[in-house]
Amino acid sequence: MSQATYLEAIRQGLWEEMEQDPTVFCLGEDIGVYGGAFKVTDGFIHHFGPARVIDTPIAESAIVGAAFGASLTGMRPVAEFQFMDFIGCAFNQIVNMVAKSHYRWGAPAPLVLRGPAGGGVHGGPFHSQNPEMHFVHTPGIKVVAPATPADAKGLIKSAIRDNNPVLFLEHKYLYRRIKEEVPDGNYTVPIGQARLHREGRDLSVITYAAMVHTAQEAAELLAKEGIEVEILDLRTLSPLDRAAIIETVKKTNKVILLHEDTKTGGLAGELAAIINEEAFDDLDGPIVRITALDTPVPFSPPLEHFFLPKVEDVVRQARWLHSY
Amino acid sequence: MPAKSKANKTSGNGSKRSSNGAAGPKTNAVRLNQHGIPDWRLEHPEFEVVEISGGPEVHYEIRGKLNAPPPPIRESRYLSKEQHLELYRWMVLNRRMEQALENLYKQSKVVGGVYFGLGQEACSCASALALGADDWFAPMIRNQGAQLVRGFHARDIMMQYMAKADSPTHGKDGTSHYGDIEKRHMVSPISMLGDLLPVMAGVSLGARLQGKELACLTWIGDGGQSTGVSYEGINFAAVRKLGLVLIVESNLWAYSTPTEYQVAVKDLANRAVGYGIPGVIIDGTDACQVYDATFEAVERAHRGEGPTLIEAKLMRMKGHAIHDAAAYVPKEMHEFWRKRDCIDRFRKYLLDKKWLTPAQDEKLIAEVDKEIDAERDFADRSPMPEPSSAAEGVHCEDGCHKIKPKYGVPKKAKRAEGKLKESEAAIHYK
Repeated sequence: MSQATYLEAIRQGLWEEMEQDPTVFCLGEDIGVYGGAFKVTDGFIHHFGPARVIDTPIAESAIVGAAFGASLTGMRPVAEFQFMDFIGCAFNQIVNMVAKSHYRWGAPAPLVLRGPAGGGVHGGPFHSQNPEMHFVHTPGIKVVAPATPADAKGLIKSAIRDNNPVLFLEHKYLYRRIKEEVPDGNYTVPIGQARLHREGRDLSVITYAAMVHTAQEAAELLAKEGIEVEILDLRTLSPLDRAAIIETVKKTNKVILLHEDTKTGGLAGELAAIINEEAFDDLDGPIVRITALDTPVPFSPPLEHFFLPKVEDVVRQARWLHSY
Repeated sequence: MPAKSKANKTSGNGSKRSSNGAAGPKTNAVRLNQHGIPDWRLEHPEFEVVEISGGPEVHYEIRGKLNAPPPPIRESRYLSKEQHLELYRWMVLNRRMEQALENLYKQSKVVGGVYFGLGQEACSCASALALGADDWFAPMIRNQGAQLVRGFHARDIMMQYMAKADSPTHGKDGTSHYGDIEKRHMVSPISMLGDLLPVMAGVSLGARLQGKELACLTWIGDGGQSTGVSYEGINFAAVRKLGLVLIVESNLWAYSTPTEYQVAVKDLANRAVGYGIPGVIIDGTDACQVYDATFEAVERAHRGEGPTLIEAKLMRMKGHAIHDAAAYVPKEMHEFWRKRDCIDRFRKYLLDKKWLTPAQDEKLIAEVDKEIDAERDFADRSPMPEPSSAAEGVHCEDGCHKIKPKYGVPKKAKRAEGKLKESEAAIHYK
């Protein structure tokens, strides 16, 4: 065990997998000598060589297509998106070529698409987005979004070892802001399992990625008022851990769904539908959604602050739901 | 309009070479276009499709010289006599299978439409035949012949169209949308055009990391290459010198849109200059030219020298799919290309060489028909898939596939001992 930031934890996981499995290789824009825009692969090219740390042209469809092609020969490619906003450029390749491959013609695609998502760093409309729902809606690709350094390490290792395509969403706000003890060595976190981040009896906040920390801050404030909030960190967005979702709802009977993604068509809607189908009788109050606005991510700090869900939003809504 | 080079005018007529098909001195001069791209054709048709909008109905007409006789077949530098005959049989099988598909459609045994490669059999079969045993390919919808050459059976294709349980995709997808990464090394196409190009570059990349240089063949039309991903795929292969072998089938119609409204260049092979890779123009209805050009591109790929763009000039001789009567195609254009039918020309070539007698030809066709009948009966007998199987197979579950490198475990780079150091470099957004 040693202390590591969220970013270092991802680096450790990727490094270790490349060390122990020679079929793992990385490709992406500026990931080689430069080490990546966020330095996730800093130093990798010197250790693993340029054959396994490949700088590509600025061509996201080519990156995903080449990763898929290589995976068909039994390799385990890890493709980096410099920013997850650019995943739109590779949409067809991911949704029609990669995700449907096993279902249509039985060809597994053991590849990882990873990169920074999320806002809070004043990146503007094209460097801040949360693109998860395009892919949660696509059968055939798993979607992972860790909130802690330990989970980031355990999940990147599981993603690389998975025989299916995995979209690995790293939250760029967390890269160097959080640090914790991260297990050494062969430590994995299973894909498809949520994590109980905080136990509480009064109401549940179901969330993921950077919003886990927003929920945690809110929970600490609410605890001073005697409201004990349970926080479920989904960790994997597809496939969802339905059992864990239902379990926390059955325990607290009140639920807030919190995410940084925009509201309409966001994951909260799907979670609400699952709770409605499987735990309707256990609810003692309406399901509350706290999300970003239905707008592009604005650039200017006061605008972005207004756009994003905040601790005070969670505190206010939790008080209301608690007293319902 | 590019100026025609008089200096490089082809000799135009039959070969003076010995007829053993072995490599030998070049006889027919090869024209180089203004970009220095070799043009192996023995005929350079000059016509264009124009849109006529003066009358009550907007329609297309063709302008230019349309009465030229078909050119001779250019002698192959690589094919043996036996390979010529094998290739001829594949082309006949390709065509007869598609005729059987048409009949199955008329009997309402096909689900959805049927796509044909009529007139493109040389382009599909000769190119596939030029691949090495380990090489990969990814056919487009008009390359059903390539699937036969590479070891699939006519029944596989028939069952795909009939959506049967025993089809390669077990009814999950139709047409040529299937593949095999185990034995026949075929990547399944998708309906979107151009996306196979980076994928085939990636197959070559994956094999290279395992110490193997592969040729990865795929095709695209003059319409398909308009997509952005086509550029991305070829460019990536070019930069990394990956073994992509791309045949651009300039078949003159992209569904109903003539090439004139698809691209502004006369020869799509010219785009090779922009990619920084070799390009070549061939007559796509001359099986020998298709074979030779592909063979050389495959050899280049095996040497790790990178991709090749082969532009094959030909015409799609049916509509986009069976529902499309292609009434938008001017009749004279159809007649011009019918005289250049790839199978008729190749048959005449073999008969003239006395490598095939009319009696042998009849026997060969009868055998092919017998094979097709048996394949069709097999396909017909296959049941429809179990409805509940629709829910299966989205993910590769534990144990359903074992992932291992096909060509050997990649060697680790012998780098200096190193441990992961914490990254302290400046980053983009904090």
